[in-house]
Parts: sequence; structure tokens; C-alpha cells
Amino acid sequence: MNKLAALSILAVALVLPAVSSGEIGNIKIDQQKHSKAQAGVGVVTFPHTRHEKLNKCGDCHPKIFIDKAGANKITMKGNMEGKFCGSPNCHNSPRAFALYECAKCHENVKKIK
Amino acid sequence: MKAPFKIGKTALLFLPAVILGFAVFVSGTFNLAESATAKAAAAKPAGKTEAAKPPAQQAIDPTNASSVIYLDTAGKPAGIGDPNAPPSAAFKLGRGWHPQALSAVGLAKDRFGLIDWAKLVRDNVIKPKPSLDPADEEMPPLKLDVLIPAKGDFVDDVIYPHEMHTWWLKCEVCHPNIFIPAKGENNMTMVAIAQGQFCGRCHGKVAFPLADCKRCHTSPKSASKK
Repeated sequence: MNKLAALSILAVALVLPAVSSGEIGNIKIDQQKHSKAQAGVGVVTFPHTRHEKLNKCGDCHPKIFIDKAGANKITMKGNMEGKFCGSPNCHNSPRAFALYECAKCHENVKKIK
Repeated sequence: MKAPFKIGKTALLFLPAVILGFAVFVSGTFNLAESATAKAAAAKPAGKTEAAKPPAQQAIDPTNASSVIYLDTAGKPAGIGDPNAPPSAAFKLGRGWHPQALSAVGLAKDRFGLIDWAKLVRDNVIKPKPSLDPADEEMPPLKLDVLIPAKGDFVDDVIYPHEMHTWWLKCEVCHPNIFIPAKGENNMTMVAIAQGQFCGRCHGKVAFPLADCKRCHTSPKSASKK
């Protein structure tokens, strides 16, 4: 019985690093829908794959974003204060596009004229 | 007595698995680090030979006051300090250049490296004239702050200072064409502002950029609810 458990742990330990380097794709961030509707913007689709190519995992995880779905309460206020997407080297700096460019992250941003 | 021994035995059994897994993980990261340093070492000599070549163009260095090209907030060339030869798309969009003379006198700058004109007025470094026409009468700045609630639940509200704006502008510049002069009559959204309406008519073009969120969104939401 113990041997079986040890073997299974061994298997997990070998497989985990391989899994963690795989692509994650797009992550839909649909928290605070009501507030987003008030502000006239839709949900955010975060392109994880695109960010994987530009950054190392350790740049964001776990300091800026806890790597667990729904564990980060991302708000525009937080972004403005230099947390989450608006961290000082990210979308609050000349390194990436600015926070006010709503339509680059949010869906269903209405075009005005 | 028996139970702790059993736990110890199982732990011993798991030990090789954990060590092996850890070793695989660590060696992976070391390999990455090694390849990165190797790449950097390989890239360095190449960079040196390029630098040794005669400089065809003058260096672009926004921190150097004698540099000929200045960068905008996106890091793109914003101007060369020569109004007769505007070089960039940024200029065509209405973003001005940063003339060399202005940069060299050491005026206060914001975190984007742009001159903080509002701070210069507050610190009495400059005193804007009311008009280009010397016969024009001076209208004193209007001391009226307006609280503009943010649409979203999580964003700080805006306190709009008439005072700083009327240092530069006449009432007719904004009222009634851009802003209806009545509280709550202007349906402002960041979406509209980012697309060049309301505040976006000037901010991001001739006034400080919209990326400077906290310069306007200063009043915490909880304060207005109380």
C-alpha cells in the first residue's frame, strides 16, 4: 500500500513541472459585472498565452496574481494604485499600453461616433 | 510507539520521490538561468561591435537633455525640439514636442517626464497671462471644486478643480460646448473620455495624459457615500 502511494507521489512530482510550463490560453474575468455595466464596459478576456511570451511566470505569480482562478479581486481602483494589471512595470508604465485604453481589455465597449 | 514509527517509515518512503521531483524542478530552472546568461554573453560582443561603428544617427536618450529626440509616454519619438520638422505620428495626433530649451531649465516634471504645469503655477514659478491681447481683462481663477462620482463601484471619485483650469482657460473654452454647465447633466464615462470627449478633448493631447489616473481619481468612494 505504502509503495503504491509512494509511486503515485513520484508520478505527480515528475509530471507537475511539465504541466506548469504548458500554455493556459485565455482567462475570462467576469467579476463585478454590475459595476462594469454601470461604467459601460463588458467583461475582460485576459490573454495568458500572449503574456507568457513576454514575461516569465515569476514576474507575476504569486506576488502580483495568486495563481488560482477567482482568488484575485481585480478592480480598476487596484490597477490605478499599482496592483494587478497596473503594477509599476506593467500597464501603469510606458512598457505596456495605458489603463485608460478600455477597449483593449474590456469587451463590448461602445464606439462613440 | 508503533504509530510514529509507521509515519516515519512512510515519510522515508516518500522522501526519494520528493527529492527527485525537486531535483527535476531545480535543474530545469538552473538550465533556464544558464541559457539566459549564455545568451547575454553571446549578445554582448555583437552589441559592442555595432556601437564601435560610426554613429549614423544621433542617440535617442530621453534622460539626456542634449538628446535631439524626445519620447512620448508610450516611448515613441514625440519630437525633435524643432517646430519646423515634426517627425512623428504623435505630433500629427496633436501631441506636442518637448523643446530642448524647456527640458534643460529643470522645470518640475510628473512621473511621465512631462512638465507639470499645474505644480509650476501652484509653486509660483510661472504666472500665466489672461490673454495674448494685452487689453484683455484678467478674470481671477474660479475657486470651485466639483465632485464627479465615478460610474464603477470600485473606482475613486473625481474632484474637478475649476481653479487650476481657469488659470489657463476662459469659461467659453469648455462651456457649453464640451460640458453643459449644470451638475449631473454631463454623462461622462472613461470610455467617452478615452475616445476624445469631455476631459479627453485636452487631456492626453495638450494636457497631462489620461494614463495618470490618480491625478483626477482622488476622492475615495466611501467618502462620498457617508
